[in-house]
Amino acid sequence: MIEVVASMARGPVFLAGELMECLITFTNPMSHLSTSASCEMLAWASAQIHCQFHASENRVALPAQGNKQDVQAESNTVLIPNRGERGQCVLDTPPKILFCDLRLDPGESKTYSYSEIVPVDGPPSFRGQAVKYVYKLTIGCQRVNSPIKLLRVPFRVLVLQGMPEPPFPPDEEVSPSNPFLEEEEASRRDARPLERALDMLMVTTSRRCAHMFNITNVRGKVAKFCIFKTVYRLGEDIVGTFNFSEGDIPCLQYSVSLQNEEEIQQHYQRRPGQVISVTGHGRHMESCLHTASSHFSLPIPLNVTPGFSTDIVMLRWRLHFEFVTAREPMEPPTVLQNQSEVTVWAGAEHVDVDTFSWDLPIKVLPTNPALASYMSHFSGTNSIHI
Amino acid sequence: MYFLTGWPRRLLCPLRSEEEPFHIQPSSQRLYFAVLSETQLSVWFSRPSVLIVSYIESAKAAAQFGSYQKAEWKPDDSMIAVATAKGYILLFDVLGGGDAKSLYEPVYPKGSPRVKVTPGYKEEQCAPALSLEMKKPVDLEAPITSLRSLQEDLLVCTADGYLHVLHWDGLGSNGRKSICLTTIPFSLDLQTARGGPSLDLEEVHIRCMEYCVTLDGFAVVLSDGRLGFITPLSNTITADQLQGVWAADVNDGTCVAVNNKYRLMAFGCAGGSVLVYMIDTTTGSMQLSHKLELTPKHYPDIYNKTGPVKLICWSPDYSVVMVTWECGGLSLWSVFGAHLICTLGEDFAYRSDGTKKDPVKISSMSWGAEGYHLWVLPIKQERKRQEVEQQEEGVEEKKEVEENEVEKEEEEKGEEMATPPQPSLQAGILQFQFIKSALTVNPCTSNQEQVLLHGEDRLYLTCGDPSQIHSTYLESNWPIRFAAIDTAGQCMAVAGRRGFAHYSLFTRKWKLFGNITQEQNMTVTGGLAWWKDFVVVACYNYIDQQEQLRLYQRSSNLDNAFASVTKLQSDTLLLNVFRDLVILFRADCSICLYSIERRNDSPYPTASVELLQEVSMSRYIPHPALVVSVTLTSVRTETGITLKAPQQAGMAESIMLNLAGQLIMLQRDRSGPQVRGEETPANNKKLLPFCPPVVLAQCVENVWTTCRSNKKKRHLLEALWLSCGEAGMKVWLPLFPRDHRKPHSFLSRRIMLPFHINIYPLAVLFEDALVLGATNETVLYDGMQGSSEPLEALFPFCTVERTSQIYLHHILRQLLVRNLGEQALMLAQSCASLPYFPHVMELMVHVVLEEEATSREPIPDPLLPTVAKFITEFPLFLQTIVHCARKTEYALWNYLFAAVGNPKDLFEECLMAQDLDTAASYLIILQSMEAPAVSRQHATLLFNTALEQGKWDLCRHMIRFLKAIGSGEMESPPPTPTTQEPSSTGGFEFFRNRSISLSQTADVIALGKFNLQKTFTMPSGPCVKGREAECAENMYIDMMLWRHARHLLEQVRLRDLGCFSAQLGFELIGWLCRERNRVARVDDFVSALKKLHKDFLWPFPVIPGGSISSPLKNGRCRTVLSTRLLKSQSADSLLNSDMDTAPPQAASAGHAWLDGLGQRSKDMDTASSAHSSHSPQTHDAFLSLLTNKVEEYSVGSATDLTETSSVVDGDWTMVDENSSTLSLSPAELEHISMELANKGPHKSQVQLRYLLHVFMEAGCLEWCVVIGLILRDANVIKQVIGFLDSPEVPQDTVQSVRSGLLAVDTLGYKPFLKLIQPQLQDLMDAAAEQVAPEAFQPTSQSSKLGGPEGPGGAAVPRPEDSRGATAPLGLAPPSLEPAGSFPRPPSEDGPPEQTEEQGDEEGAYDCTLS
Repeated sequence: MIEVVASMARGPVFLAGELMECLITFTNPMSHLSTSASCEMLAWASAQIHCQFHASENRVALPAQGNKQDVQAESNTVLIPNRGERGQCVLDTPPKILFCDLRLDPGESKTYSYSEIVPVDGPPSFRGQAVKYVYKLTIGCQRVNSPIKLLRVPFRVLVLQGMPEPPFPPDEEVSPSNPFLEEEEASRRDARPLERALDMLMVTTSRRCAHMFNITNVRGKVAKFCIFKTVYRLGEDIVGTFNFSEGDIPCLQYSVSLQNEEEIQQHYQRRPGQVISVTGHGRHMESCLHTASSHFSLPIPLNVTPGFSTDIVMLRWRLHFEFVTAREPMEPPTVLQNQSEVTVWAGAEHVDVDTFSWDLPIKVLPTNPALASYMSHFSGTNSIHI
Repeated sequence: MYFLTGWPRRLLCPLRSEEEPFHIQPSSQRLYFAVLSETQLSVWFSRPSVLIVSYIESAKAAAQFGSYQKAEWKPDDSMIAVATAKGYILLFDVLGGGDAKSLYEPVYPKGSPRVKVTPGYKEEQCAPALSLEMKKPVDLEAPITSLRSLQEDLLVCTADGYLHVLHWDGLGSNGRKSICLTTIPFSLDLQTARGGPSLDLEEVHIRCMEYCVTLDGFAVVLSDGRLGFITPLSNTITADQLQGVWAADVNDGTCVAVNNKYRLMAFGCAGGSVLVYMIDTTTGSMQLSHKLELTPKHYPDIYNKTGPVKLICWSPDYSVVMVTWECGGLSLWSVFGAHLICTLGEDFAYRSDGTKKDPVKISSMSWGAEGYHLWVLPIKQERKRQEVEQQEEGVEEKKEVEENEVEKEEEEKGEEMATPPQPSLQAGILQFQFIKSALTVNPCTSNQEQVLLHGEDRLYLTCGDPSQIHSTYLESNWPIRFAAIDTAGQCMAVAGRRGFAHYSLFTRKWKLFGNITQEQNMTVTGGLAWWKDFVVVACYNYIDQQEQLRLYQRSSNLDNAFASVTKLQSDTLLLNVFRDLVILFRADCSICLYSIERRNDSPYPTASVELLQEVSMSRYIPHPALVVSVTLTSVRTETGITLKAPQQAGMAESIMLNLAGQLIMLQRDRSGPQVRGEETPANNKKLLPFCPPVVLAQCVENVWTTCRSNKKKRHLLEALWLSCGEAGMKVWLPLFPRDHRKPHSFLSRRIMLPFHINIYPLAVLFEDALVLGATNETVLYDGMQGSSEPLEALFPFCTVERTSQIYLHHILRQLLVRNLGEQALMLAQSCASLPYFPHVMELMVHVVLEEEATSREPIPDPLLPTVAKFITEFPLFLQTIVHCARKTEYALWNYLFAAVGNPKDLFEECLMAQDLDTAASYLIILQSMEAPAVSRQHATLLFNTALEQGKWDLCRHMIRFLKAIGSGEMESPPPTPTTQEPSSTGGFEFFRNRSISLSQTADVIALGKFNLQKTFTMPSGPCVKGREAECAENMYIDMMLWRHARHLLEQVRLRDLGCFSAQLGFELIGWLCRERNRVARVDDFVSALKKLHKDFLWPFPVIPGGSISSPLKNGRCRTVLSTRLLKSQSADSLLNSDMDTAPPQAASAGHAWLDGLGQRSKDMDTASSAHSSHSPQTHDAFLSLLTNKVEEYSVGSATDLTETSSVVDGDWTMVDENSSTLSLSPAELEHISMELANKGPHKSQVQLRYLLHVFMEAGCLEWCVVIGLILRDANVIKQVIGFLDSPEVPQDTVQSVRSGLLAVDTLGYKPFLKLIQPQLQDLMDAAAEQVAPEAFQPTSQSSKLGGPEGPGGAAVPRPEDSRGATAPLGLAPPSLEPAGSFPRPPSEDGPPEQTEEQGDEEGAYDCTLS
């Protein structure tokens, strides 16, 4: 038996374009003291990244697929990473051979480092109602005369879509240098565009610019709403303030929901004009009848997918507001002091209300993948025994 | 712990009124808030925060009673008492409040999509309808100063010095008692109490009073500012049964608030500080526990300008206190005085532009339910400002004074007519929002291991985004009272008014009771905790009307059907879990231990609960409400008892009880007859009674222990950690014997060590020696354009940062102070692998150094030497000292090094330990503390070592450092040779990256020129002297660099030489030119070649039939393949693919470099001058030869290389080329192909090519041959052989090449040498001609034997030798022919021009040859 453990030390979340590193350890778990222990052999192992796409039959009409070979012949030494997986493989990186003819003595263990740039042009990891994009690192290994065994390590990919392209690096960086200068220099250069993109992401999402909205319905002004920005990173709090004191219509209650809309692109819709799927990711509800001003703070969960669009699906984010307002504009009653009689004012038992809703589109962008790794439900580590 | 969050919410009274509310009083459960203005009593609801009812006094009554002043609720919420200015108590019946009627129920239009699906919806949305009815007023005939409800009684203090006890129900003269203050005897403690009234209490009355249930007495502030505590000596309050004690030496008291849970009395003082007193239980005297004061350090502007303390407000759970002053502001402190928030500083007090804000002045405040909100009545600034403005306007308009007055009167009389819509007249209430630690009400063990904070509607963990509590649960069960997290930090549970719900972080899903009736029929009473995957709750069952202990499994549905239920005897107050034990503290002051066991016999997992033990604590606990937390621990003191059996780690050994801040420990009594452990351990546990309690510490807010054990970290894991408010943290550390062989004979003791940390501790990570905590952070939004909101402008947005802190240095230091060095060492060694351990050490030195070196008084017994000696026990000693020194100011260095040792010695130790970076740091110290000569000497030492070890960054810094020393800047310290200095590294970056050609020669040249100027030209600057010194210094450095280069070359460390040159910008070519006939010779080709093979991981050529012995196996090839795959895909493939293509155009590539160089040397005067100056003669010859070629195809060179790279598969073209021209046998062909496949790593190849070019340029022909051989590049060898004819080349060299070539075929180069057979033959022939006169035998073999061979050559096996010598002779004629007519038909894979050029080139060589 050989135990294969694959582990992504940095965590299971990556930005597209980032270098993914995974340590794959092959261990012969038998103790070298054991008499029955023998050395174990593996013919080869190779690894590759692929992205599986799966669409709901009810919502997405995909063109007929070319019948891809999905069965792996026993004798075959070709690694088909998505063997046995649902859906289509929409993206894969060239396979890399980790080794050939590995021999492990009892108790011996060997570690290989697999590294690959996570493709920049792929979709982000996404589990929607109609469409799923799932990334996996698949490690295939084979003993001589045995079927190929696959070890899958699912991971999450964030895509910085719609970010301005980082400017082309200055000339000095493309020109070749002395071959004796350390290689790390080159890798540092690799990381630079990514860093720059992340910096830009931070700058974009850190900029505050207050947007004010007068919330009115048919009967008059309800409130003034202020949101301090409309572009957010994952994990950030969306903060907005309401001022009801200037409204003419009393508002009994408001709610703000963070929602995403998953829209299938027109060509792929199963039915023309089918409904866009909306998913909620947190809601703030507040009674605000005698409230002059208030605010909400809605966290954007770290595990959601930032807005993106592919040729099949488009994901947008919005804040969905609902207001329960009184039908009658209420002029605040004035209480006169020093009246001859005692006055007891009591609130109304019933209030005739209307409900109104409003949507505010916002942008949700990825965040530093290291941060997102904290809350990922992938562990980034997986193992099999072969 | 409490933290402010977000902005405050602002409520607005729906009624317009001239009056401004000034007093707010919550009902007992904080469901309702009574708000008073002069003639108006309003009742607000808590959630939603709406006005329910408002009672406005008639003019006549208002005139009779005077304005309202204070209000108090009857404990059952059915009445409100209002005190008025003219000494009346007005009693209001609060009617309604049942479920009968509600207010503000929304009526949706018919057919509205909004359907009420949530059962709790109504409660969420609506407030109960209440009405107020005034009963007969009571006239107390003197102004009322204080009003407190006391169960059935109402206590009223009046300004005439009386204390009135009124019965809530039977008001009027019957149920009324009056006690004159003067009749109460006061003393400093109860023991010295003397009978009889206090004479000095004449003319004095009680200004403020509060009743403390758990102390059973009244904390009072007298009108003369004295503080006192009045105890009723019997159960009823009667005049002759009261006894008072004074607080000594205080006479500026303003207000008081009592803490029932911790039995504390917080008195506000006119000076601005809050004095917190406790009652000494033995003497009955008032003892100052601690003070709450703003420190001048943190609040320099305001700490002494706050004015008197105005209000003090304990949170509902009594764990924090809010204080406000006359000047305004809110400040929050933990129960024992840890300062948490103050709105008088930083973002609260200043706008983003730096201007100061007016602090919000507060007339009254009150905590909301569970402390999530603080209701604050601000004193309106606007109104005052308006009045002022109006007056100013009046002045401006220069109206007559009378007119103005009239106008004002008019305004006051009929304001509603003059300006009806004035929003400022709608009274505002601010609701500050808080989140708090789950520990405050539910101090179970797992909550201590994780940081769990909860706000009104969400949970916060140590990291990640907050989780919102399920709105369905929240709406029907607000407010959340308890929260618990499991040990792994993955599952959470919350309990509100009824029921509970739990959440999994993994699935991000909540689980609620499926059956809402079940939820609503239970309420969590004693808290909840996680045991494995079960939620343990102590709850009250409304159906059975009993207290129960229930366990629900996480993964099954939340339903009573899956719960295991145990009936409990009495109400539960606290619940905790230790291993498989549940510990309950009950309202009858007893502690119950239950064992839990998981059972898998039913279809769903359940747990069985069994009562193990009941311990009555009523003797020690005066009031059950005083118990803050109960924990089972494995901690033992071991006093007096030697354990016979080895103590089982992690057993439940003791109960820790936090009794109002006093930490009490009850150990299992092992003094009795012991039942041997192996018999029935469960019974044993059950039977062991507990010893009487021992007090471990005072002022304890939280306690942390763990049941985990780790032999390597016993100190940390078996310690008990305490947080003690302003006193910081304490650790009760076990002390272990050094001698591990006799653990049982030693009576281990413990020591209590206090230490301070900067955050409020919320969790202790035992193994990691870390404390987790949280602090409030603020963000200003005031500068936002368009946000005219007063709240954003007034307050910053508050967030909570969860942080961590190390503490080890405090503890180590404390141990050292107490001469417990051994313990400190053991503790430190157990933590030495922690990543921040070096930091801990450094901090320790730093703190001690700062303290002792800056002390004004001489320190009799300084600690620093001890600390230094302690750290020498660790390998990081040298590093620690120097890091600390460099972070400390220079003035303290002498003190430091006096204690730790001479920096020179430390520097040398670093060198010995090969820790060059640390040595470099010491150099700075030396440089400041020693004479220049000394630091220069040390710097040289370090520089040489760094060169030898290839620490290039350090070398660069050392160069700079040495230059700085030499440049006469000795007075001012030279730039520090560390990586932290950006500007200096920037300079190097510049040199290193500014490469223009394929090689880096241009840089080298530039640098060379730079050096030249410095060395040889006479600078014409103002400071000639300095320059001279600099020149000398540069010369000095150059000498060292040359010496090192020589050294490397002598030892055939070409790879190191390459790195050295590249990293330090060492001008290699020029230097090699000079050394061409000296050190840049090759003495021993065979060993040189061997060394290169080894250094560049280059495989030896494959000997036919002997491929097994090749050091490289298939596996290696494959890895190479895969890395190349990666590289060609990576973004910077441009560069790499350039290099990739180098092999096919082996010769031409080499030339291209030369060409490039030649061209450049033409373009750049500097370059050529540099070259010529270094090696004038030889270089000229080369230049002339190559310039011709440059002119021939200057278009080509580098660009062509790039283009071909993608087209040609280099390795194979080469083979084809050779095979077609040389017509080798298929076997040979295969062999060559194998050989070529067996090339070394790509990187090595590029480096070797580069070196080849350098040597070629410098005319070091022997080295060219060696590299040509290793690269198996026939053209190189051919070219060199061609050059050998040049008269410039000394005969030695020719000879050496010749013999070298003959010697190396023993290494398996025979097949390769075949490729250059003709040239070789020519060379040998030439040699024969020359050598003939000297040699005895004309054969090549003899010449080889007589050649200057090293031992490697001598050991060459003979058969191989003969073959190598004879075979070329046979092959020579045919191979010579094609070599001469090299141009081939352009049928090759390569681009035609390229081939042509190549052909030309070869032709040219042929010409030279023949």
